[in-house]
Amino acid sequence: MNVQSEAVSVVALVGNPNAGKTTVFNALTGSNQRVGNFAGVTVDMKSGEFFTPHGRKMRVVDLPGCYSLQSTAPDQRIAVEALRGELPGMGKPDVVVCVVDASNLERHLRLALQVIELGLPVIVALNMVDVAEKAGLRLDVAKLSEELGVPVVAMQASARKGIVELKQALRVPLPAVPEVSWDRDGGEEAHGAFIRGLCELAARRPGAHQQTLSDRIDAWVLHRVWGWVVFALMMFAVFWAIFSFAAIPMGWIESLQGLVAGWIESVVAEGDLRSLLVDGVLGGVGGVVVFLPQIVLLFFFIGLMESSGYMARAAFLMDGLMAKAGLSGKAFLPLFSAYACAIPGVMATRTIDSAKERLVTIFVAPWMSCSARLPVYFLIVPLLMGEAEGSWKQALVLFAIYVVGTLTAFVAARLLRNKLGAESGGSNFILELPPYRMPQWSYIFRHVIERGGAFVAKAGTLILGLSILLWALGTYPKSEGDDADALAHSAMGRMGAFIEPMVEPLGFDGRVGTAILTSFAAREVFNSSMAVMFRVDEAECSEEEARATLRDRLAEAKWPDGRPLFTPLAMISLLIFYIYALQCLPTSVVVAKESGSWKWAVWQFVFMSAFAYLASLTVYQFGRLIGF
Amino acid sequence: MPAGLAAELEIDSALTLNQVAVGCDVTIRVLNGPGCQQLRDLGFCEQLQVRKLAGGRNLICSVCGTRMAISRELADQVVVAPSR
Repeated sequence: MNVQSEAVSVVALVGNPNAGKTTVFNALTGSNQRVGNFAGVTVDMKSGEFFTPHGRKMRVVDLPGCYSLQSTAPDQRIAVEALRGELPGMGKPDVVVCVVDASNLERHLRLALQVIELGLPVIVALNMVDVAEKAGLRLDVAKLSEELGVPVVAMQASARKGIVELKQALRVPLPAVPEVSWDRDGGEEAHGAFIRGLCELAARRPGAHQQTLSDRIDAWVLHRVWGWVVFALMMFAVFWAIFSFAAIPMGWIESLQGLVAGWIESVVAEGDLRSLLVDGVLGGVGGVVVFLPQIVLLFFFIGLMESSGYMARAAFLMDGLMAKAGLSGKAFLPLFSAYACAIPGVMATRTIDSAKERLVTIFVAPWMSCSARLPVYFLIVPLLMGEAEGSWKQALVLFAIYVVGTLTAFVAARLLRNKLGAESGGSNFILELPPYRMPQWSYIFRHVIERGGAFVAKAGTLILGLSILLWALGTYPKSEGDDADALAHSAMGRMGAFIEPMVEPLGFDGRVGTAILTSFAAREVFNSSMAVMFRVDEAECSEEEARATLRDRLAEAKWPDGRPLFTPLAMISLLIFYIYALQCLPTSVVVAKESGSWKWAVWQFVFMSAFAYLASLTVYQFGRLIGF
Repeated sequence: MPAGLAAELEIDSALTLNQVAVGCDVTIRVLNGPGCQQLRDLGFCEQLQVRKLAGGRNLICSVCGTRMAISRELADQVVVAPSR
């Protein structure tokens, strides 16, 4: 370790979930961490740097929220281990800033007392004093500081009030290790008694329970009937926006893609390089980047619901329904996120306390149809209905596809949950319903940009690599003759011929089989593979036109004996396969990381692939049997 | 009506949070059961005032100005008495 890094003091931010640690962190460092109004937004440790008023550099670590230092939830354990200096690569922090919600001192001070007992220098950041004052609380900061024996700084971090004072308090020499003025050995009861006395002195509440605006909103939002109406409207609005609004920027991306393809064709001579750039790189990456608007919109809505406080209500409402799948309301957010992309969904499972429930949620999350499956659905569904894209009948089929995936996920969750055994002590569902707040727009937008950036990065790396590989497989080894012969002679054509006997019972020929095979690392690749296999030049027209041309080709496609290849039954079989198959390498990587075992990820992959194959096989063979 | 209800509660003070009527203010007497550490961590501790806001599969109650939703199983472990 070098001298300079030794000189940097480490400040740990700790506090109950939803106390505003991340807001304080952002205000201190000017960073752009994501902030939600939902317990468990910080699931990993983030660190940043800032300077005290005297120019001294400090490193601040934002720990996940925890209710108690005795907690067992995985995200909360991280905070406890970090404070005790038990985390590898990080020593004991030099000073702890305990962020407490001023409007909720009775609850938040419990953790503060436990932190003070650790024997580290502590500063209490009394956050959200504005909310407390609005609620009629009379706060006495000096008295609090005197009784707790540590500096207390009143703050309103969302408006950057009190940040300078906090930085002042963090100057060197750091505050001394506090003397504990309560009965250390008295346990919970001694803490409770001390806090009651302290709140009586320094944070007096107005006598009667007051009906706040949040209470009045909740009367509707959590109502037995109206609550569901509000919920359904919200979800409908989100999905509608994702599918219709997103079409506009998606059109822009497609025209841009067309322009770039035109430009490349004008400057690069005909040959392998041009083919690689236009068909391989631009076709492959463009086909994925086109989903950016949908992903951005979904994360925008999730951010909005988290930040305003609605997400916790949705989890509360959904608890009854999720219980039928053996899960709790906390599994709702991860599963809902998985409709956009299974990766953030799997990552969001960290807020679930029960390890078993968490594993089950991770396991079934990929069956919530993610947005990467959409191009496949958009290609097949209009062909199935025998019409152009965009009718209400197709929307109905699309909806049915989502329902099939979701219901299977719920049944699987139920079975798996029963197999893993019951939780000790029955259902321990506890959820804080935070007061409604105005969304913090800057944070929502930063969060959206961060997620969108991660998606583009994936498109620029993994998908780019795969697209080039696919292009090479479809181009080499080269042969004389027309495009069809060239493709049949290429590595991809040979692969198709090889796997044909395996996919024939599902109603697919070798070409479709190859396209499925190539889409195992990322299912979006299916369309571009199909375009290559059925010889549609994608780059010359928009995505939608390309799909229409491809559909025409598919409708004409025949088996060698002259039967049509894409019968309605074969298309349903194909759709079923795509609903169930786990064809996403990044998801498997994240599952392995989150579940802590590669075995779980591999098992999930094998199970879902086998399930998809068998489901598809059953549908096709049964359909044949009854005469379709 | 609240006064009458309070008198009734006084007679049989060993009520759990589940048995309390919606809208009642109660004081937590004892936490008893496997989930009580979890409840304490979240601020449900002895002598605190709680108002039950809604019943059902999960209860909603207000503890020190914060609304918490807790399952019936957990609410059964919270023994309360009427607030004076």
